[in-house]
Amino acid sequence: MKRLCAFVVSVAALVAMPLAIVATEPSSPQEGKATPDISGFWELNFDGRKVPRANLLPTVTRAKIDARAKADAYAIRWCNLLGLPFVMDPGRPLDIRQGSTAVLIVGENASAPRYLYTSRAKHISDEIFDPSTNGDSIAHWEGDTLVVDTVGFHGEHGIATIPGGGFRTDKSRLVERYRLLKDGALLSVTFTWTDPTVYRSPHTYEYRYHRLPSTYEPRQWLPCDPWDEERGKFLDPPAVTKPAARAIPKGATP
Amino acid sequence: MKCRVIALVGLLLPLAAPQLLSAQAPSPSTARLEGDWVRIDPDGAGSFGGLGASIPPAQLLPGVSAAAGRGGGGRGGGRGGRGGPPVLESTGPNPEGVPYIVVAQPCAGGLGGRSNGALLVNPDSGGVHFVEHKDEVIFAGERGGVRHFYLDGRQHPTPWTPTPAGHSIAKYDGNILVVETVGFTAGAVPGGGVRTPETRLVERFEVAPDGKRLTITYTWDDPKVYQKPHVYRYYFDRSPMLDSAGTPVSYALEEWCDAGDPIEKQSIVPPKQIIK
Repeated sequence: MKRLCAFVVSVAALVAMPLAIVATEPSSPQEGKATPDISGFWELNFDGRKVPRANLLPTVTRAKIDARAKADAYAIRWCNLLGLPFVMDPGRPLDIRQGSTAVLIVGENASAPRYLYTSRAKHISDEIFDPSTNGDSIAHWEGDTLVVDTVGFHGEHGIATIPGGGFRTDKSRLVERYRLLKDGALLSVTFTWTDPTVYRSPHTYEYRYHRLPSTYEPRQWLPCDPWDEERGKFLDPPAVTKPAARAIPKGATP
Repeated sequence: MKCRVIALVGLLLPLAAPQLLSAQAPSPSTARLEGDWVRIDPDGAGSFGGLGASIPPAQLLPGVSAAAGRGGGGRGGGRGGRGGPPVLESTGPNPEGVPYIVVAQPCAGGLGGRSNGALLVNPDSGGVHFVEHKDEVIFAGERGGVRHFYLDGRQHPTPWTPTPAGHSIAKYDGNILVVETVGFTAGAVPGGGVRTPETRLVERFEVAPDGKRLTITYTWDDPKVYQKPHVYRYYFDRSPMLDSAGTPVSYALEEWCDAGDPIEKQSIVPPKQIIK
């Protein structure tokens, strides 16, 4: 009888174990240990950038690079959304939070946050997606690495100059690989840009962010006021306003 | 018999374990706050003014004036300008070529600007998004700004320099996210209320059991301002799904506002009317 009992209990344990594993499988990365949690406050220090020179197509002329630099200056002057690649190196720490459907990356300036969607495997159809400074990012885990694929960039808006050379266009694709190092004290992100109108070969560089104490308080409000006259005087190159799209009729203003 | 009971318990316990463990989790997946939401007009007020009027009036202490708080980003449920003062809002049809709304300083980064989260204290019609993490919930708006709701046990910092969105700490009360915010810059509150750096706001973010409706209950309390706490609610639905090549999706838009583009200073301009 004792033997039979031991057998029944053993079978029960064997049957229950896989069921338990299935039942406790995490529904989101942060709920289990299956994938790392890259959430936290992260700072890019002066020695955190490893950026080789990009291999540009001959069609990317000095004039095109200068024009892009001028457009970037315009975006800064008028407090536009700045977008990628700038948002990953904004001069202040990033707050990264890993939810059940998306990883959110938030800076401490006026740029829009980044949403890395883990809930879908396909990009939004370009028939309905409004190109944006951050594009459409989808993400998945490959072992301990979060792989993020981004397309759908706006060709003009924001700061588009890419570290190491070149600039983002509406044809650009960015693949990022996020991986924790040194027991989670460092976050390595490799960026690989491809663009048939800009690069001869994929352009890859790496940033390493330091984890800040969990008690860090992000600065809430770094104002960017396009109507601050002093700021305007400081930043204004000649003729950075767009030509009037439509004159405002006399009498319409107060 | 005893053996069978042990075996049965052995089988059931691991299955019950996740439920026991998840008792402390924020919310079941069907009622998660995480995702995309848009504010609605549940009672058919029909306009932003009507929505604002549906908020019960704040009962202020004698000598406290709502006007004292103007300019603080309390949007009263009214139409949000894109920064800067909205200066002309006509009631009748405008003549050809005269815009309905002229904004002197569009996309301004000051009060109500993109970067400070003030727009999310009482959201307007722009889409809003939540990402829930065990240590922090981030509340982000398409019209700019984020709010950080800390769940990691931290306290409000002292000293604290007041900001348009204040400092928020949070906890889950069952499925309801309860957020306490203090340290606001002085300003107005919907329903004729007032806030000061000492005013305390408690928001309860409650998702309906079917996961489709979000109700935010606002309670403003300040014994130097209010006769009794000022309470009202905002309602949201999940963002409408779009058809992306046969797959229903929703995603966070980026609202573009270019202060350097003169077109941003005005709204619809009535074209020449053709009368047949």
